[in-house]
Amino acid sequence: MQWQFSNDAPIYTQLIQQIKVGIVAGVFPPGERLPSVRDLATEAGVNPNTMQRALAELERDGLVYSQRTAGRFVTEDKTMIQNAKRSLAERHIKAFLEAMFRLGFQQEEVLALLEQEMKEEGNSNASA
Amino acid sequence: MLRKLMKHEFRATGQIMLPLYLILLVTAFGSNIAGRWMIDSQISAVSLLGGFMVMAFAIAIFAACLMSFVLMIQRFYKNLLQDEGYLMLTLPVSIHQHIWAKLIVSVVWFITTLFVLFLACMVVAYNVRFIQEFFGVFADILRGLQKLKISEALNGTVIILEFLVLIFLFLAAFSLQFYAALAAGHSLPNHKMAYSVGCFFVFQFLVQFLGTMFLIGLSKSPVFRFLSNWDPSAIVAIHTGLLMMIALVLVYGAIFYIVTIFFLKKHLNLE
Amino acid sequence: MPALECKELCKNYGRTTALDRLTFSIEPGRIVGLLGPNGSGKTTLIKLANGLLTPDAGYISVCGCAPGPQSRKDISYLPERTAIPIWMSAKQLLDFYGDFYEDFRRDAAEEMLAHLNISPSQRIKQMSKGTREKVQLIVVMSRAAKLYLLDEPIGGVDPATRDYILSTIISNYNPEAAVVISTHLIADVEKVLDEVLFINQGQLVLQAGVDEIREEKGMSVDALFREVFKC
Repeated sequence: MQWQFSNDAPIYTQLIQQIKVGIVAGVFPPGERLPSVRDLATEAGVNPNTMQRALAELERDGLVYSQRTAGRFVTEDKTMIQNAKRSLAERHIKAFLEAMFRLGFQQEEVLALLEQEMKEEGNSNASA
Repeated sequence: MLRKLMKHEFRATGQIMLPLYLILLVTAFGSNIAGRWMIDSQISAVSLLGGFMVMAFAIAIFAACLMSFVLMIQRFYKNLLQDEGYLMLTLPVSIHQHIWAKLIVSVVWFITTLFVLFLACMVVAYNVRFIQEFFGVFADILRGLQKLKISEALNGTVIILEFLVLIFLFLAAFSLQFYAALAAGHSLPNHKMAYSVGCFFVFQFLVQFLGTMFLIGLSKSPVFRFLSNWDPSAIVAIHTGLLMMIALVLVYGAIFYIVTIFFLKKHLNLE
Repeated sequence: MPALECKELCKNYGRTTALDRLTFSIEPGRIVGLLGPNGSGKTTLIKLANGLLTPDAGYISVCGCAPGPQSRKDISYLPERTAIPIWMSAKQLLDFYGDFYEDFRRDAAEEMLAHLNISPSQRIKQMSKGTREKVQLIVVMSRAAKLYLLDEPIGGVDPATRDYILSTIISNYNPEAAVVISTHLIADVEKVLDEVLFINQGQLVLQAGVDEIREEKGMSVDALFREVFKC
C-alpha cells in the first residue's frame, strides 16, 4: 500500500482516510486481521502512537473491531464498507466540483464535460 | 566492570603487541642463526643477509619498546578523548575504573615487553655452552643461598620485591603524568594537543622543582639531622631508601591521578 | 516519572551561553523531536543528559537520576559522530555492548545486521560511512533502554539510509521508553514524532504535539519551524 501525506492536515486524520481507502479497495479485505500497530506504523513511516490513535478512531466508527488477544480485524459488515466507500466518493466529488466551479464551469457544463471525457476514456480502453 | 574494561583494553592493544612480540622472537632466532653461521661466512651475500637479520632484531627491540610506550598514550588519547570517548565515557562505568583499566593494562604491557626482551636476548645468545653456564650461575647462586642465614635470605627477597614494586609504581605514575597532561590539554576548546604537550612539560618542571624543594626542605628539617646521626646497617639503609622512594612515587602518582580525574569529570570537552 | 527532565538548566562555554534556564520534561512512550537551528544548544543538552558535560546551574535528571554511571544504564546514546571503535569486527562490537549493557538484545542486533548483509566477521574499518552509521544505530536501538538520545541520526546520510534509520527507530519502539531525536531536517522526521521541542539560543521556544500543531495552525511542523526561525 502507498502511504502519502500532505502538510496541511493532522497525520492521524490522513491515516484514517488512507486505511479506509485500503479497506474499500480490498487491500484489507472484510473480516481479515490487520497488521499490528507497529508493523503498520513502520510501513507507513509514522509514529506508532499516531497509528494507534487512527485505528482507535476507526474502531469507534465501527470499520475495525478488536479482539482482546488476536488483534484488530476489518469489519465483516459489507454495508458499512459500502457506506465508507460512498462517503469517500462523496468527498472526492465535492472537491472536484468545488474546483470546477472555481474555474467557472456551470453544473451542466461539468456534466457534459464529464460524459465526453468518460466516453474517450472508454474508447481508449477498448482500443487498448 | 573493571574486568570487562580490561578485557576489551587487552583486545585492543593485544592485536598490536602480540604480533610485535612474535616478530621480536622470530628476529631473535634469526640473529642467533646469523651470529653462528652467516656473518662470518665467506660468501658475501650470506654475510650481508646475516647482518640484515641482526639489524631486523635491533629494529624489533626498538619497535616493541616504543610501541608499548606509544600505546599507553594513544589508547588514553584516542579511546577517551577522541570520538571513541563518546562511547566509552557514556558506559555505565566510573572514570576511576576507566583510568585503572588503562593504567593496569599499560603497565602489564611494559612488564611483558621487558620479559619478552629478556627472552629474546636468551634466544639470541643461545648455544649449549651458554645455557650450561647460565644454569651454572643459577646453581652457584642456589649454593650461595644455602649458606645464607634465614634473615639474610628474607631480606634479599624483600629487597628484590621492593625494587620490583618501585619499578611498577614508577611506570604507572609516569603514565599518569601523561594522562594528566592529555586530560588537562583536552579540556580546552582549541589546540588541544599542543596544550597537552605544554601541560606535560609544565608538569615535568613542577615535579622537578617541587622535588628539589622537598629535598632542600628535608636537608634543613630535623628528619635529616636524625638520619645523619643514624647509623643503620647496610640492609636497613637499603630498605629505608627503597621504601622512601616507593612513598615518593606513590605521592607523585596520586597527584596526577587526582589531576586526571578532575579534568575528565569536571572539565571534559569532547569535540 | 519523566524519562528526561530539566529545570532552569544553564550551561556556558566561556562567555557564550549554550543553554539558558531550560525547563521541560519528556514522558516515557514518546518520540520527541529536539529541533533548532545549528548552534541552538541541542548537542549541549544531549551531552548534559549523558554526563559528558556538567551543568553550570539548574538540574537535569534521567528517569529520576542525576547523570552518572547509574543513569547511563538507562540511556542509549547515538552520538553525532561515529564513536564505535573501527578496529573491531561487527561481532566484537556486539560482544562489547553485551558486556557493558545488561539490556542489550543481541539476537535483535544480529537479526538487523543479517538483514543488511553485514557478516559478523566484517571489520568496521572496512565499512562505508553509511554502513558504519547504520551499524552504530543498530547497536544503540538493540538496547532495551528507557531513554534513547539520538543526536542527528539522519544528518549527512543518503535518503535511502535515512529511510532505513527512521524505520529502525519506529520498529524498535517501546511504549515504556522515550526517544529524543535531535535534528534540523524536520520534514524527514516529522511523521515519526509525537511531539517537538523547539529550542533557540539555549531557550525553549515551544513544546507541542505534531498533530496538535497541524490541527491548530493548519501547517506542518516544518513550515512552522521556518516561520518561527525566519532569518
